[in-house]
Amino acid sequence: MPEPQISVFDTRYEAVEALHELQRQGVSDSAITVMSSEPLHLETLALPKTRISGFAIIGGLLGAAFAIVLTVWTSRRVGLVTGGMPIVSWWAFGIIIFELTALGAILVTLGRMIMEARLLRRPPVIGQDEAIANGKIVVAVRR
Amino acid sequence: MSNGRPTNHKINADLLRPLNKPGPGWYVTVVVSGLVVAVAAVALGYQFSRGLGVWGINRPVFWALDITNFVFWIGISHAGTLISAILRVTGAEWRRPVTRCAEAITVFALMIGALFPIIHLGRPQFFYWLVPYPNERGLWPNFRSPLAWDFFAINTYLLGSIIYLYLPLIPDLALLRDKSRGLLRRIYGTLSLGWRGTQLQWDRLERAVRVMAVVIIPVAVSVHTIVSWDFAMTIRPMWHSTMFGPYFVAGAIFSGIAALILAMAVIRRVFHLEEYLRPIHFNNLGLLLLTMSLIWFYFTFGEYLTSWYGNEPGEMAVFNSKISGVYAPLFWGTVVCCFAIPAPLLAIKRFRTIKGTMIASVLVVIGMWFERFLIIVPTLTQPKMTFNWGNYAPTWVELALTAGTFGYFVLLYSIFTRLFPIIAIWEYKEGLPLGEHGEPTIVGTPDVEYESA
Repeated sequence: MPEPQISVFDTRYEAVEALHELQRQGVSDSAITVMSSEPLHLETLALPKTRISGFAIIGGLLGAAFAIVLTVWTSRRVGLVTGGMPIVSWWAFGIIIFELTALGAILVTLGRMIMEARLLRRPPVIGQDEAIANGKIVVAVRR
Repeated sequence: MSNGRPTNHKINADLLRPLNKPGPGWYVTVVVSGLVVAVAAVALGYQFSRGLGVWGINRPVFWALDITNFVFWIGISHAGTLISAILRVTGAEWRRPVTRCAEAITVFALMIGALFPIIHLGRPQFFYWLVPYPNERGLWPNFRSPLAWDFFAINTYLLGSIIYLYLPLIPDLALLRDKSRGLLRRIYGTLSLGWRGTQLQWDRLERAVRVMAVVIIPVAVSVHTIVSWDFAMTIRPMWHSTMFGPYFVAGAIFSGIAALILAMAVIRRVFHLEEYLRPIHFNNLGLLLLTMSLIWFYFTFGEYLTSWYGNEPGEMAVFNSKISGVYAPLFWGTVVCCFAIPAPLLAIKRFRTIKGTMIASVLVVIGMWFERFLIIVPTLTQPKMTFNWGNYAPTWVELALTAGTFGYFVLLYSIFTRLFPIIAIWEYKEGLPLGEHGEPTIVGTPDVEYESA
């Protein structure tokens, strides 16, 4: 993979101007990486679509399924009757199902975020961390 | 300052100062809270060696200060994640310096609250028997028990709150990585998961935090509701109430906001963060505290009116003991601490200052601890069968453990402020108005370097 061309800017205005110039030259958004010490919310830079919300729902469903198996299947196996309640008590189990639904959504959201944000991977640009920490905006282009 | 916006250098220097030079106030706080924890540890060791008999509990009072502390600290935990999530979801801009102070409270308060059911087991080394896993003992949790619901709710909330605290911390961990050396650099580097601040990372982080905020709000509400059901699922006098869930949740948010105001006031003073934690934050939280004071009074009045109007003998015995009996000083003290003083104090704008909200918060925290005690002990001392009535007085062990929870909380919180920025640096910068050229930051002299341990 070729080394990226790196430019460092003091202001958001300068960075946006540089982005416009790159786009005018036909550089695709996927070839551009903009790094900063705070979110810039650049409307000029298209990002891949996120599926975090969808995965959170899937995580919730997985959590609910696990909770149902845990409560219903194991309670049937143990067969303990308490308080005159049926072995499978949906009112009571519903609370555990709710909690594990939320837990599933939370864990999958975290996992999907790490994956989509490309964390725990080789950094796209090396050697610019200090500049970013000092408030500079780094624009890297791979042609 | 330039264009009305503090420089990047100044923000970093101010908000990283507590990590580098915490000041004498921090050391005093750590030593004092550490001593309180040490006394509590001695009491706990004594209890483990002698058994639960060293507590004042006896038939018919088997829950007392331990469960009071459990309910109180789980309530305090609602300060953070819930309030932070609500403020994020509603887009309240003033939240920015507040959220991390709040989220850290949740994690530490939950850790402390969750200790008490384990301590109360008598043989805490066997607490893992509560965990549903295949074993040769033939034991399996009863999923129809509210205590099993507690296990799932508290652990979900604790794990969710840790992740909710951690996610927005990642960019600040990367900042710390870039400004530290040696071992600390490696530790912060590992914790920041290779964060580089690409726009893709920012976008995904903000999306994940939003999703988490939406998910965590119902979890937070469920946690204290389930804690209330530990009581309400029984048919004990003044416990078997349908409104116990919302009553507990309202009380939890109420005490949580008070704890948050106190924490912010102390942090502001000790770390000289006056420019960041401003009077407007205390004013806004004071208004929230006022709202919760009114809601708390409404629920309390509704709860007691229903008991009084029903005139059922078992209920009335407990009711009378609180209103005019042995527990009356505590009950009226609670009303004074939670409503009679804070509500007028916070309603008058002139008094809704940092000092005013602090006074109200101290009273609310004390009052809410009394309230938790009053929910638990009077009902247990006076069961429906009058031949079974009893008394309860705490021993030094219980009092030391109670004091220890406060010391432990302060100690954990102090250590957290020494290791991580207590105000989210990137969130604070993001909320500042842009300069005339849209500059997000103005680069000044090189930032302070965080010293290696």
